[in-house]
This record gives sequence, structure tokens and C-alpha cells, in this order.
Amino acid sequence: MQPAASADPLDPLPLIAGRQDSDSLTRIIFTPVWEKTRRGWWFLFLLGLAGTGLLTAAITVTFKEGIGSWGNNMPVAWAFGITDFVWWIGIGHAGTLISAILLLFQQKWRNSINRFAETMTLFAVMCAGMFPVLHLGRPWFAYWLVPYPNRMTIWPQFKSALPWDVVAVSTYFTVSLLFWYVGLVPDFASLRDASYSRLKRIVYGIFALGWRGSSRQWHHHKIAYLLLGGLATPLVVSVHTIVSFDFAISQLPGWHTTLFPPYFVAGAIFSGFAMVLTLIIPARRILGLEEIITLKHIDNMNKVVLATSMMVGYGYLMETFIGWYSADKYELFSVANRMFGPFAYMFWLLILCNVLAPQVFWSRKIRTNVVATWIVSILVNVGMWSERFVIVVVSLHRDFLPSSWAMYKPTWVDFGLLFGTISFFGTLFLLFLRFLPAISATETKELYKELSEEHAEATAA
Amino acid sequence: MSDWILGEFASEEKLLEAARELRAKGHAQVETYSPFPLRGASEAVGLRRSKIPALALFGGLSGATAAYLIQWFTNAVNWPINVGGRPPHSAPVFIPITFETGVLISAFFIFFGLWIILRLPQPYHPVFEVEAFRSASTDALWLSVESTNPSETEQLTNRLRGLGARQVSVVPEEP
Amino acid sequence: MSSSGSWPEPSGERQWRSIEEREGSAELRAALEREFPAGAAELSDGIDRRSFIQLLGASLAASAVGACTSAPAERILPYTRQPVGLTPGNPLHFATALSLGGRATGVLATSWEGRPTKLEGNPLHPSSQGSSGVFEQAALLQLYDPQRARLVKQRGTPRAWKTFLLDASLRLSASAKKDQGAGLRFLLEPNASPFVADFRTRMAQAYRNARFYGYDPLADDNGPRGVQLAFGQPSDVQWDFSKADVVVSLDGDFLQPPGPHLRHARAFSQRREPARLNRLYSIESTLTITGMMADHRLRLRPSEIQLFALELVQELVQQPGLSSLSGVSQASGQLARSEHLKWVKAVASDLARHRGRSIVIAGPSQPPIVHGLAHAINAVLGNLGQTLQLIRPVAGVESGVASLSALADEIKQGAVEMLVITARNPVYSAPADLDFGKRVASVPDSIYHGLYEDETWEKVQWGIPAAHPLETWSDARAHDGTVSIVQPLIAPLFNGIPEVELLASFLGVIDKSAHQILREFWIEHGPAAAFEQRWERWLADGFIANTASPSVQAALRPDSLISAIRDWVKEQQGQVRSTPDTLEVNFVGDYKVYDGRFANNAWLQELPNPITKVTWDNAALISPATARRLGLERDDVVLLQYRGRQIEAPVYVLPGHADDTVSLPLGYGRSGAESVARGVGFNAFALRHSAAPWFDRGLIVKKLSRKHKLAVTHDHWAMEGRDLAIQYAVERFEKEPNALEQLRGPTETLYNPVNFDREQYKWAMAIDLSRCIGCSACVVACQAENNIPVVGKVNVLKSREMHWLRIDRYFSGTLEDPAVITQPVACVHCEKAPCEYVCPVNATVHSDEGLNEMVYNRCVGTRYCSNNCPYKVRRFNYLHYTQNKPKSERMLMNPDVTVRARGVMEKCTYCVQRIERARIQSRIEGRAIRDGELTTACQQACPAQAITFGSLNDANSAVARLHRDQRRYDLLHELGTLPRTAYLARVKNPNPELA
Repeated sequence: MQPAASADPLDPLPLIAGRQDSDSLTRIIFTPVWEKTRRGWWFLFLLGLAGTGLLTAAITVTFKEGIGSWGNNMPVAWAFGITDFVWWIGIGHAGTLISAILLLFQQKWRNSINRFAETMTLFAVMCAGMFPVLHLGRPWFAYWLVPYPNRMTIWPQFKSALPWDVVAVSTYFTVSLLFWYVGLVPDFASLRDASYSRLKRIVYGIFALGWRGSSRQWHHHKIAYLLLGGLATPLVVSVHTIVSFDFAISQLPGWHTTLFPPYFVAGAIFSGFAMVLTLIIPARRILGLEEIITLKHIDNMNKVVLATSMMVGYGYLMETFIGWYSADKYELFSVANRMFGPFAYMFWLLILCNVLAPQVFWSRKIRTNVVATWIVSILVNVGMWSERFVIVVVSLHRDFLPSSWAMYKPTWVDFGLLFGTISFFGTLFLLFLRFLPAISATETKELYKELSEEHAEATAA
Repeated sequence: MSDWILGEFASEEKLLEAARELRAKGHAQVETYSPFPLRGASEAVGLRRSKIPALALFGGLSGATAAYLIQWFTNAVNWPINVGGRPPHSAPVFIPITFETGVLISAFFIFFGLWIILRLPQPYHPVFEVEAFRSASTDALWLSVESTNPSETEQLTNRLRGLGARQVSVVPEEP
Repeated sequence: MSSSGSWPEPSGERQWRSIEEREGSAELRAALEREFPAGAAELSDGIDRRSFIQLLGASLAASAVGACTSAPAERILPYTRQPVGLTPGNPLHFATALSLGGRATGVLATSWEGRPTKLEGNPLHPSSQGSSGVFEQAALLQLYDPQRARLVKQRGTPRAWKTFLLDASLRLSASAKKDQGAGLRFLLEPNASPFVADFRTRMAQAYRNARFYGYDPLADDNGPRGVQLAFGQPSDVQWDFSKADVVVSLDGDFLQPPGPHLRHARAFSQRREPARLNRLYSIESTLTITGMMADHRLRLRPSEIQLFALELVQELVQQPGLSSLSGVSQASGQLARSEHLKWVKAVASDLARHRGRSIVIAGPSQPPIVHGLAHAINAVLGNLGQTLQLIRPVAGVESGVASLSALADEIKQGAVEMLVITARNPVYSAPADLDFGKRVASVPDSIYHGLYEDETWEKVQWGIPAAHPLETWSDARAHDGTVSIVQPLIAPLFNGIPEVELLASFLGVIDKSAHQILREFWIEHGPAAAFEQRWERWLADGFIANTASPSVQAALRPDSLISAIRDWVKEQQGQVRSTPDTLEVNFVGDYKVYDGRFANNAWLQELPNPITKVTWDNAALISPATARRLGLERDDVVLLQYRGRQIEAPVYVLPGHADDTVSLPLGYGRSGAESVARGVGFNAFALRHSAAPWFDRGLIVKKLSRKHKLAVTHDHWAMEGRDLAIQYAVERFEKEPNALEQLRGPTETLYNPVNFDREQYKWAMAIDLSRCIGCSACVVACQAENNIPVVGKVNVLKSREMHWLRIDRYFSGTLEDPAVITQPVACVHCEKAPCEYVCPVNATVHSDEGLNEMVYNRCVGTRYCSNNCPYKVRRFNYLHYTQNKPKSERMLMNPDVTVRARGVMEKCTYCVQRIERARIQSRIEGRAIRDGELTTACQQACPAQAITFGSLNDANSAVARLHRDQRRYDLLHELGTLPRTAYLARVKNPNPELA
């Protein structure tokens, strides 16, 4: 049985290529986990470890010396730290979005990439989660943001957006983790059953929790998985909304705007998809997953990237318009300062990367060209980082009283944390690729069956 | 005493057919096994609606309520402080945390509820005795039924063959 | 009170108590065992001088350290109330005085268990009137400076004080026998101390040929000569700016030291209120604090100012009834009509309209003729006895550059065998051409009494560590001659020797402490009756009443002035005007380090210069036009060549500076042992020439490729069209009295603001921009009061300075002739504070009385509050600035204020510690806190009385009245933060003729 390309005339690209069956799919998906560790993997892994070392160094200095080891100053009290935080959180949004929202919308093409995306989410949120703690003046008191009973009955102050952040980010991480694991259990079971080394059987067996794939288990599992997806969907929207509140509830020109929540969410999806592409394109090649992650997926993701790029573009447009329309001299100035101030190059860089570059995706040729897609996806990641930099730093460095204006210069620690977290992220991802199936075997098989049936009906008719 | 009879089927249709047949004959303990959820399997083995949605709702509501109460108590009751001239109890600013906590608790209820209902983790199960059963999680379709005496075991084995099982094996309960 | 317990071990290398102890002289150690050597007790006349000196030396060496354990038997008396006994936890206040440029300013010291932590002005003292300047405020940090000289040294090797006494006295007695001290010279820090005056006369008797010189590089010796020219008799001038409707300042920065600048600022600012507004014309070359206050400012090269003065006279003569100036005006002959003729006419007619109610004042850098002209004008306008008084000169040695060059010549001729220097570091601050360092080194016997092991210390034979003025007894006189007894607040921290004891030793008085010597002097000079009572009254008041010099009558006697002008005109004909490629050099005293004596004071180094806002540096100041012409911009390093010498300096382009002129602030580029001062800025003394110590033509500026980053705290000059620091002409203010209506009052809001009216107090502040002169005394006062750390140049460059109170300085108008306004900004304590609702841990919250409180130990350092503060007045401890404070500097901390650690936010608290002290006091007395009883540190220091603090719930309180003032407005009012600090717009009084 062969889900022919002609199954959907509007959509000639197949979601699963070649002649397959459950067994072959299992093989394709599990091979990367079973095969001997490749040299390339070791190389990248050591690279990642080195970068993680840099991260450790930067964190140590930050804790020992204080935030003084960063470039922050007055008025720029927030800089790289918060920029990185928002950037990582944004990246962390594609995962849940793909698995949850597309799950609810019954998008078939999601199944082959959702595991990938979810895992990325978890690691991205891990990286993001470091920064709120790191950027505290006295990080050892971070727990004061949590309401715990104490004899002085001093509580957190819930009008601030920071406790909201704490709850939102931790909730987001927890729910994503649960969602991810629930989806992973059946695959653990098949890994347990399909692998031959006793050790692997025991280890995977433990994580499989004794899953048998009985109709009873599937019965509850399906609904639980769907519900978690249903929860994750509003969650994903709320989390970045709340992150945007960090800025929106303040009164600083360039922060104080109702546009932020939708605009941040769009940006998050944007950067999230871009990061998925950045990772998946080399991965499918190296791990030989072309048959399961096909050009069709890349094509679809590129469409999402294009759409969200237009949304953020609209965001920039509105910011500028409102800056003018408000007739508020401070707003107007902050807009002008972004475009023509000392940090103008960051602004134009983000316009180039976030608005102009993705326009190439109007052409199907480029959407289905992996190299081009990969380059653009990287540009988008850069662009989104600079967008956050512009929002955080450029708004702060010139605000109400010209007497307190100042410039901002990052230190090696700032860069250490940025590139350190990127390497840490990469390291975790390599481990994931090595020990877990990058693609949900269960759902792929399910998908394959559905496709075959569709095909059968199509041919029957 | 009870034995487990396992049969592997070539196709979904046959598997579900067999399941229905056996239940019709009054065998309560029928189970199908598959690498991915089968449409109609639940009905075939006669499962009732899952309780998990109810758990989720309960968890969500209680979480949200608790969160709002905590914020209200700490900021407006236990020690109200003049913070920027804002009212100590201002509902709008309590919403984000209320919502997030609702989601979190709800997720916990779903997650742990699932394992409790399924009685997992469960390191041992009789069906794992059959080496061939490994294929259940990768590509094969299996069916299991319990018998209470050797004669029943015997006849169930034959029936399964009759229903088109490619292979049947029995897991005898240890003496 | 100086009986306070243990003092800090002077940090650094192992300490020895005296050189003999170190070298282990047995009998001395034995002597030291018993604190005071046997025999010292039963001193009889029979004892021979030599052994006496040994004993004395031992006991002195002992007491230098022994004082730790035994109190000097000296009583000094608390101000206003006598302590029954010192109540721990309650500070005491003592009156004393600090001298600068030879004139004393009365101060009150706050002392905690014998540990002075704060200086304030003495309200009763004529030249302080309760306020203080940056130097008074920063004096304490100098007192506790661990880098002060600690040991008597002979050519670098430690010696005992007694060894010095022995050595000196032997030589003296020798030279006395020989030739009555023909080779003996004193180079004194200028002072008018009655004791020193008496000492000089007694020395003159003992050693007929000994001679005295004084030196202060910024001393005003042109002024007195000018008076001489105009009135033909020496006298000091007392200005009363409160009576002057029109003030014309000829390069006279009368709001800054030297001189009674505090008194001037007080009187002048009183006249800056709309009702009784005066008008200030400032003719100057570099932008000064006085210039920033001017209603009309004319930029002239220093050399042109004399021309301006002459033109002014020629214009005045044409005014009715001023013909008596004709002689003077004719002397200058026909002057080339200058481009600013309109200006001169306007000033002249304005002066003529305000006879007897005007002041023309010239600055120390201007030649005597200008001073003479100024006095002549004052005389004919009938200002004498009205706005200025002539008084009998407050005695003192002449101490300008001239006196130092005279001494240098004497040394050159080998006439000097023993040179005693008490002047502050003359080797550094002497004009380069005198090559004073080499001169001093060539003197066989040179003795330097200094606070630091500085440039001068290196050149002398004997270095004597000086006791800080707050460590010792002496006396001094104020600008008007009023005498103050200077009493110590603490026994010498670093074995410093009092100047009084050093000088007395040359009269063979070596067995007495400064305290005894001084008392005996005052007992001699005055009715013996009831001396104790009088002495205690003097100490309690901080000065001796009715000791001001009497005023003298004088009439204008212009003959010598006329002839001086004639000579000048003659030599002018010879000279040529400065050609474009050579510029004019203009040496100015520094607002922060004076002549370099305060260079090791980190508070002052980090204080933003009131004009340029530069910290930790000085810079060559040039005008924008000249910068353009020479292709220079800020931070460019230039090579300055003048009279065959050259230095390198970074450039600062200063709007409003005179063209073709380079102003060089003195006092930086120190090379002494003081590590704070070393290498900060460039040394302008290296260009100074004794022939033209203030200004001269012929400076050549060459641009170098290097750059030197100046740490400027306030980079952006323009206000970007925002209503921040508001100033406008008084006419407009009268025409539209409600111009500021939309900048005050309630704003629209979603919920009702908290009501504070039912509280007992509703603390608030008002800052009057009309009065503020931008001198920055408040900034240092705040730093001293609130234990604010210093962060150093590197961190200032990263804009991490910690000042809770900063002074914003904005330019408006053209770059060439800008209008300047200064605006002190600290936390304005918003009733709806944006900083508070974003703090996640309740670390900054509001008090019932409306204080925006900062809870340090709750702060986790998210810095969110700072981001949301529109005034950006919050300061964050990015590093652990208060770690590793030298032990001595820890003594300086104010025990009422938490010392903050790393990672904590901080900001202005309205001096909450002072509020609480006042509250305790009022509760003890069962009453409410009275208005004016409570002052914040900035308010107390402010010489212009621009800052007012109090409760708004008392409708009659000063602050409440100011909050109702027509000039009141709120900073960033449109944000609806309801700040408790209100600003009063500055009104200017421009002359319609110059509009």
C-alpha cells in the first residue's frame, strides 16, 4: 500500500515518502538510537561541552563578582540577560505550538516533527529559565519571589509582572515536560521491546512504566494527551503574553504599549519555527529521516514563518505609527531613537532579518530548497534576538530625562552567557538525538495508516 | 487460578472482530494490544468513558481558586501595604497567576490521574512472558484473554486460532 | 571627648611606635613601659636642656601611640548644650573652623562617641551662616584618609619627633648665635591666625633676620593692589550682594572660593526671587558658576576684560553726575571701539540707574588695574558703604606667586640655610619657571609640615606629618576678621604634629601641647578676668564675638590708578594682538580639588564638575568655534606649548567658553604618594609662569592622534524640548502667571489617590531653581550623610555612579552663547510611584507619611524599579563597593544609615534617619516636629537655600507655601506620578536694551 503523491492533488508533496510499513518506520526512526555513535556526533558534542564550559565560567563570575561583571548600568539596568531570556522563551514556543495547536487542528503533518519541536521547547525553556535568576543582584534570594509562609509574614508583591513570569515560565516548563513524556511513553515501550541489549531494555523499560499498548491504556492515553494539548494551547499564548507584560505594564516609552502581547506571541512562533528549521534541516539529513520529515513539512513551516514574519512586521509598523499618532514627545522620540539613534544598526538589522528576508518564501522553489530555508531560518533567529535587544536596551538607554541618558557596552560575560546557553542547548539536543527517537514512532505509524486509508478511499472512488 | 491466552492477528479488522466475538461469548477480560491506538478498540473491548476530563476540570478550577485566594490573602488581607498608591486588592493583576496555576494543577491532575487509572508504573505483567509479544509495541496486533481453568484455556486457544490468530501462546499461572 | 576608645591601626606595613623602639633602645623601651618617663613628672628647672629634650621626645613618641590608652587632658566643649556625660547612640555637636585661602569658615562637627562623621556650617559664623561648600563637606574624608603621612622622616628614613626637635633646635641655637637667623625662612600656608601673627613678631625679635613668605597658588594678591590703586590705602572689601540690584562681574567668580563664597551665595540667591530680582552681568572667559547664574553673559578673552572695564568707564563718564571718573577715562585715551559696544552702553546705563544699589566686582585673575577700575566705578556710583564695605585688612602674609618667586630668588642666591614649609605642597603648585623643587632640594636644611608624603615631601630633608585641622588646636580668622578657636574633634589618627607645636618649637617651646600653647597665648592677649568662662563661650560659639575688623572710611584717589593705566596703554602700543595660531591660556582654580590639596579626596574626584560634569579628570576647556577651527572634539589629546614648556591634555568642548582661549584647571596630575590623586588628569602648573600666573597670549595647541576618555556623568546637553528645568524672563512670568498651570495639580486617574492629609506629617520638598547656583555642595553633603560609596573612574565610565542626588545641567540657545540652568534631582517620592508596583518582593514601598521607602535587606536586585523610574534617580550596587574599606574610613560611616552591600538598589530617602531623630526628640518633649527644625543633608549644606523640606499637612510650613507658589511645577507632571518634590521655575531678569 502506497500513499501516492496524488492523494491530494493540491498538495503533491508526500508527508511520508517511499513504500513503508510499521516495521520499516520503526527501523527508520530507531536506527539513529541504535547505531554506533558517529564521529561527527562526538565532534559536535565536545564543541557543545566546550561552550557549556564557557557558560559555567560566565555564571561563576556573575555570582562571584555580581552584575557588575556585565555591561549593565544606569539607566540600562536590563540588557543582555533579559534579551536572552525573552529570546529563548520565544524559541521555546514553537514546540508546544506545533504539538498542541496543530494537534487540535488535526494537522497531519505535525506528527513527524512534534517530538522534535517539543524537545526543543524543553531545552529552550531550560536556557531561558536561567536568566531571571542570573540577572538578580542577589540570586541566592530568588526564592523570595515565591509566596512561602514566613514568620515576618512578608509576601511577594503580585502587582509586579515578575512573579507572573515565575509562575508562567515554570508552569510552561512543567506542562511541556508532562506533555512530552506522556507522548513519549509508548515509544519507550517500543524501544524497550525492539532493543536487544539487556541494559537498554532495562533503562527504556523503566521509562516505559510497563506500557503494553493495550486498548485500555490507549483509551485513557489518547484523551489525556489531547487534554494536555488543549491546556498547552492557551498556555503557550499566555506565557509570552505575560513575558510581554514585563514591558507593557511599565511606563517607559517603547515598553508601555498594548500592542506587545499579540506582537510578542507572533514573534515567539516566528522564532520558534525558525529554530525548528535550523535544527531539523541538518538533523533529517544526518539521521536519514528524509522519508519522514519531507519537503512538505519544510514547505509548511516556511509558510508559517512567512505568515508570522508579516505579523511581526505589522507589529513594527504599528509601534511606529502609534509613536507618531500618540503625539507624545517621549514616544515619538523613542521611535526616532530606534531608527536613527546610536543603536540604529540593530533596528535595521532586525528589519532586514525579520521582515525582508522571509519574503523570499513567497516562492515555492525557495520554500522547498533546504539550503535557502536554513540560511533564512538562521537570519530570523538573529533578527529576533536583535528585536529583543532593541526593545530592552534601546528603550532604556534614552528615556525621559536627557541628563541620565547613557550608552551600553556588553562585556565578555554577557556574550559568554549568550553563546554559552546556545552551546548548552545544542549539547542537550545532541544527547536527545542520541538516546531518544527524534520522531514519535507511534504517531508516525498512526499517520501512515490514516494516509494509506485515505489513499485507498481515493483510489476506490 | 487463571491463565493468559495471547493471540497475534494479521489485521485490525480480524483483531477487533475476535475481541467482539469473545466478549459476546461472555469473556470479560479481553484486551487488544497495538503499537498505536486502534479506532473502535475501546468499543470492541467495551470500555466506559474516561474520567480524565472530569479530573482535569476539577484540578483546573481548584488550582485557579487557590491561586487567587493566595494572592488576595497575602496582598490584601494578611499585610496590605501602600504600593505605588494602587489598591491592595486589584483583581486585574491577579489574573495571570490565577490562570497559570489553574493550568498547572489541571495538568498535574491529568498526568498523575492517567497513571493512577492505568495502575502504572507496573514493572511486571504476565503478557511480558511471551517473547513474541514484544512485537506488540512495534508492529504487531495482539489480543489477550484470561481463563479460569485448563479446559477453558484449551477451548479459548482453539477459538482464537479459529478467529484467525496467526499464533497463539498461553501464559500459565505459576502453581 | 577625644578620650574615645581605640583607633584604627593605620593599615599597611607593620607599625612601630617610634624609631627607637624599632631599633630597640633599651632605656627608651623601659621608658615606654611606663607611659610617661620617670622624671618627666618632677621636672625641675635644674634639669639640663639636652636630657630634657630626650625625655620629652620619649614621652611625645609614647603619647603619639599612648594616646590610644590615655586621654589627652584637654577639654573641648559641645555646641549649645553641655553633655552630662556622653550618651552612646546620640551624637554631639562641636564648633570648630576650617581654613581655605587663609580665611576660616565656621563649622559644626557631628561626633559619635568621639568619632566625627559629618560637618555642617556654623549658623552663627559670619562666613558660613550655617551652610557649607564642597570642601567643608569633604574635609572629613581627608581626615580619615589612610594615605596621610604617618611618620616623621629624615630623607625618607623614619625618625622620632624628638630627634627632629633636637636637630632643629641645635641648628637654630647655632644660627641664632651666628646671625639672628639670616638663613632662616618660613613658607607659610596663608592664614590670618592671631597666634601665627604673634609668632611672627616674636620670631622677629628672637631672630631679627628671619623672614616669612606665604604661598597659595590661587591667592588673590591683585585685589589688594587694586584697592591700593583706587583708594591709596590698603583695606579688605566686604561685599553685600543682598543690597545690590545690579551686579557686574569682571571675571569675578564670587560664588566660589577663595573668598566668603557661602556668604555671597546666600545674599545673592536671596535676590533671585521675582519680587526682589537683581540683575547679574557676567563678563568672563570660561563658563563659571557665577556665569551660569548671569542674566547676561559676555564671553571675552581674559586679556580683553580690562579693555571692557575701560570702555565701561568711558561710557559711565557720559552719564550725568559721574564726571568724577573723567580722569580715569581720559587716561586710557581713545580705545578701539569693540563689537560689544551695545553691551557696554547697556551695562553703563543700568549701573547709572542703580547708584548705591549696584556692585562691580573683579576676579583675582584680573590685573590690579581692573580691580582699581571696579572700585573707582563703585566709588562714583556711591556704592561704598552701601553694597560694599572697606575694612581694616585682616592681617596675613602676602601669599601670591610674587612672594614665592621672591623666596625662590633668595634660595638661588644661596641666602637660605633653613627653610620651614607649612604651605600646602608648594613644590607641586609652584609656577614651572621657578623650578621650585630643585630650589627646595638645594636648601641645606628644609622642613616640610604636610598632610601627605607629596611632591614637596620628597624634596625636603625633614618631613613632618601634619595634624589635620580637625585633630588639633589652633585659631583662625574669617573673611571679616572674626576670630575662631579651632578645636580638635579627635586625637591625631596618624601621629600628626600640630602646626602650633611645630612653630612654637622654634621659639624653644617644646614641652607644651598645642592646647596649652594656645590657651596661654589667649590668656596673655586679653583680660585675665574670667578667662575660663570666655574660653568656654568661644569654643561653644565657634568664634569670638566682636572681633571683626572695623570698617574704614576711604575716598577715591585715582591718581595712581590713572598713572597705572597710562603705563599700561604705553606698553600696549608696543605689543601686537594675539595671532590666530597662538591662543590665550587661562589658568583657573578647580571646583573640586582647589589647587590640588584635595586631589586625594575620592568624594571630590568623583563629584561631577559643576560646569563640565567631568569626574576623575581635568580637561583643557575650549569653545565650540575654536574646537571647529582646530578640528578638535571631546577626548582628543592635545599638545599645549607655552613659553618653551609643553604638556598633554584631553580637550573638553565647553559651550559659552571664550574663543581662541584655553582654560586649564589647576590641581591635577599629581605625582605624590597619594594613590587616589596620582595620575588623575594633567598638571597645568607645569605650564604656569610666574610672569603671567593667570593668563597670557602665546599658547600653541597641537592635536595628537591619541584619545583620552573623560568620565562625564551628563553627556546630553539639550533638553529636547521637554519641560524639565524651566526658566523664563520675569516679564513673561508677570504677564502669564499661570503659564505653569498644566505642569502641576492632580492628573486623571482610574482610582482615587491615597489620601495622606489625615497623617500627622506629609513630608515634601521644594527646590527653587532660581536660587540654585549648581555648586554641588548638596551632592557631597548627601554622600557624607548617607554613606554613599565611591565607584571610581572605570565604573563612572560605565555610568554606574552612586550619587543619590545629582545636579542636571542643561544648555539652551546657541552653542556659542548658551543659557545654562542647573537642576538638582534626587528621588522625588512620587505618591503614585512607578518603581513600587513593579517590585516583586515589596522591597520598595510607601510609608504613611508619603516617603518612598527602600528596604535594603528585602531587595533581591531585579532592577525593575530603576527601569520604571522616569527620573532615573535609583542607584544599584553593581559591585561590592563597600567591601575592603580602610579601617580609618569605616570610622567615617554614619551609624544611622545602613551601609549597603552588593546587589542592592538604593536611592534618596529624604534623610529618613534625620526625620526619625527629630521624631524621637519631639516625642520626648511631647510636641510635634516644628517646621524648620528638621533639615535634610542637602538642604542644610545648600549655601543658596534653594532646598526646603517639611510637612505639607502644616499649611504654614515653608515647604507648603512653596508648593503653593506660582512658580511651582512638577517634574514630568504628565506621567501623573504626583511627586512630593516640587520645583520652582527659574526667573531671569534680562535687560530690555540687550533684548
